[in-house]
Amino acid sequence: MLENYFPILLFIFVGLAIGVLPIALGRIVAPSRPDNEKNSPYECGFEAFEDARMKFDVRYYLVAILFILFDLEIAFLFPWAVVLKDIGMFGYLSMMLFLGILVVGFIYEWMKGALEWE
Amino acid sequence: MNILSDIYTALPEFFVLCMAMLILIVDLFLDDTQRYLTYALTQLTLLGAAVMTAVAHSNAVGYAFSGLFVDDAMAHTLKLMIYLSTSVVLVYSRTYIALRGMFRGEFFVLILFAMLGMMVMVSGQNFLTLYMGLELLSLCLYSLVALDRENARATEAAMKYFVLGALASGMLLYGMSMLYGMTGSLDLTQVSAAIMGGELNHPVLILGLVFVVAGLAFKLGAVPFQMWLPDVYHGAPTAVTLFIGSVTKLAAFAFVMRLLIQGLQILAHDWQGMLIIMAVLSIIIGNVAAIAQTNLKRMLAYSTISHVGFLLFGFFSGTMNGFVSSMFYIVAYVLMTLGGFGIILLLSREGFEAEELDDLRGLNVRSPWYAFIMLLLMFSMAGVPPTVGFYAKFAVMQAALQAGHVGLVVFAVLMAVVGAFYYLRIVKLMYFDEPLDAAPIQPPLDMALLLSANGLAVLAFGLLPERLMGVCATAILHSIQ
Amino acid sequence: MTLLLSFSEIVFYFLAAVLLYAGLRVITTRNPVQAALFLVLAFFTAAGIWMLLQAEFLAITLVLVYVGAVMVLFLFVVMMLDINLDRLREGFWDYFPLAGFVGVLMAIEMVMVLGTRHFGADWVIEPAPHAADYSNTAELGHLLYTDYVLPFELAAVILLVAIIAAIALTMRRRKNSKYTDPAQQVKVKRDDRLRIVKMQADVEQSVGIDGES
Repeated sequence: MLENYFPILLFIFVGLAIGVLPIALGRIVAPSRPDNEKNSPYECGFEAFEDARMKFDVRYYLVAILFILFDLEIAFLFPWAVVLKDIGMFGYLSMMLFLGILVVGFIYEWMKGALEWE
Repeated sequence: MNILSDIYTALPEFFVLCMAMLILIVDLFLDDTQRYLTYALTQLTLLGAAVMTAVAHSNAVGYAFSGLFVDDAMAHTLKLMIYLSTSVVLVYSRTYIALRGMFRGEFFVLILFAMLGMMVMVSGQNFLTLYMGLELLSLCLYSLVALDRENARATEAAMKYFVLGALASGMLLYGMSMLYGMTGSLDLTQVSAAIMGGELNHPVLILGLVFVVAGLAFKLGAVPFQMWLPDVYHGAPTAVTLFIGSVTKLAAFAFVMRLLIQGLQILAHDWQGMLIIMAVLSIIIGNVAAIAQTNLKRMLAYSTISHVGFLLFGFFSGTMNGFVSSMFYIVAYVLMTLGGFGIILLLSREGFEAEELDDLRGLNVRSPWYAFIMLLLMFSMAGVPPTVGFYAKFAVMQAALQAGHVGLVVFAVLMAVVGAFYYLRIVKLMYFDEPLDAAPIQPPLDMALLLSANGLAVLAFGLLPERLMGVCATAILHSIQ
Repeated sequence: MTLLLSFSEIVFYFLAAVLLYAGLRVITTRNPVQAALFLVLAFFTAAGIWMLLQAEFLAITLVLVYVGAVMVLFLFVVMMLDINLDRLREGFWDYFPLAGFVGVLMAIEMVMVLGTRHFGADWVIEPAPHAADYSNTAELGHLLYTDYVLPFELAAVILLVAIIAAIALTMRRRKNSKYTDPAQQVKVKRDDRLRIVKMQADVEQSVGIDGES
């Protein structure tokens, strides 16, 4: 059964190689002679003012959570798409009702302005 | 599969779902002065659902959605009670939420969805349906508690409620999955049959059962899983506390009936012991801790814990009589809680929460009528005859006696006497102390009428309990074989 | 039993080892962002193990929903909050003996209850292996949209409630926002903004333009 996943394994390895190889090559081939000044963060000639990592706006949270909810909805679409031919009209309608309920949610969030970025 | 007959069987649920979505959208187009339309639509939904359930009412048992959904007398009766008490909750809380900026479409929509979850729980015939209904209800309740965003105490309460509630759901689900693993079915009747017929691995079943009972106890608020209850009752806006404290208990009752009695009665020998321990502890902790409270909402929370203890008496007696008295008890409890929190809402006004015991001082001087209503409610909670609370306690005790738990009954009666202290303290405050607060009490007409009816019903059902007892008996006998 | 492990056993032990390592790092690493990334690794290897159990739909969902979406939210939250881990860890070693004792006690209890006596592999019949074209996803689909349509629709309702709750609880308008609605900008007429005032042609004064916003 595992042999079915061989292409995926291969895919993962190729993906890893594409990601890792250039960095590794750069490390090995490029000359590297760091000193104190080179390693310090550059900010238009000044000393760095603050930490480079800054806090995100809280409003991202709402966008992210709405994204998750619709992402979950997609998870339900996968098996449906696989068996759509077998489950007939009933299965089709049950998914339409499912989507309909979520469309109501979508209309609500749109009208509420939750998707707007002021 | 016949979709039309399925939808017909679950017509009230379908109607509530459609109306809730409609209200959600309609409310977007209303401005604050037209918000009463949302309120009216919500009440209309409750009325429509009640008509549908009442018309479909019969003593036959019907199934829908491949046996995931059951339509029996218990479901009908409890659903009608759920609509009625939700409607009462809305009437009581209308002024309160309007003054606190919560008179928004979301409030009503969340209440309706919570009610839909309860309806599904009441009709659940499968672990999955029961669980989904419970989650729908819980999710709505968490957000209702936090709906007043500026209120830090409510937010904290919502946080605690959410974390502990999620833990309880996890336990319940864990137990259900173990039972599923052993019996190979999610359907309550098939689970029951599998346990009866098969040579199953008993310890694993028991482990699953322990998780299920722990999850149930969390949701009911029985000791040792009661910690969330006082904080949530205290922290939540009183209108939401009223909803959580009253209506949801009807669904919790049905949930226990479906899971423990319909599904796992064969393991009764194993869960009886757990319920006895929880009942005894709940009665002790509820009654003793309530004495120390100065906050009325907190006191009522501990009173709930002790009532849950009494409720469990009916369950662990394990007889039909016991289940009927448990149902009677829960209905009586809902009636009393509605009235009790109704009085708190009545005394609250803009920027003032009448939730301390001292706020009730001298209520008799300010309004003799509402003081009398509160007197009836407190007598009923304490179990003083001739109120419904007395008869409810009497019925569960009788059932427990018949099952041979003499010692436990004696103990419970003694604890009820201890509990009477803090209820009677309120009566003393109302009648024998000087008022600290002279603000006039002017409820809207519908609330005044309903609250009066609520208080008098406590007395009426206490004097003539046969009718209500008959309804409970019919509901249980035609549903549980 | 042969000494040599089968290939799937090797894969299992490899994935399990990575999973354990990632799980440990989640709770021991100092940087919360790194902890979240280790959690991603843990989810990923868990998905691999589910794949070995032939539960490929669950595995896909785990990657899609948890790695793809839930962890994004986690990272957002971690970056949103200014978590000071050093302060969180204050008193760690003071509580360690008690916490360690309770933890060990719980572990012993769990071993006693969940030991092989009742939960061992002997109790479970090994499921028959499926053919290569057997699709777990299709089996799930056959049931989910027909027999289990009620819980399925309830899932939609729960998602809807989550949308409503998320918006009702977290959305707030900013008071000092400098945002203007493009639609309103386009709709503006000349008369809304500009007022032409007829005046005597005074030499000293200029034409007054009065902007409203």
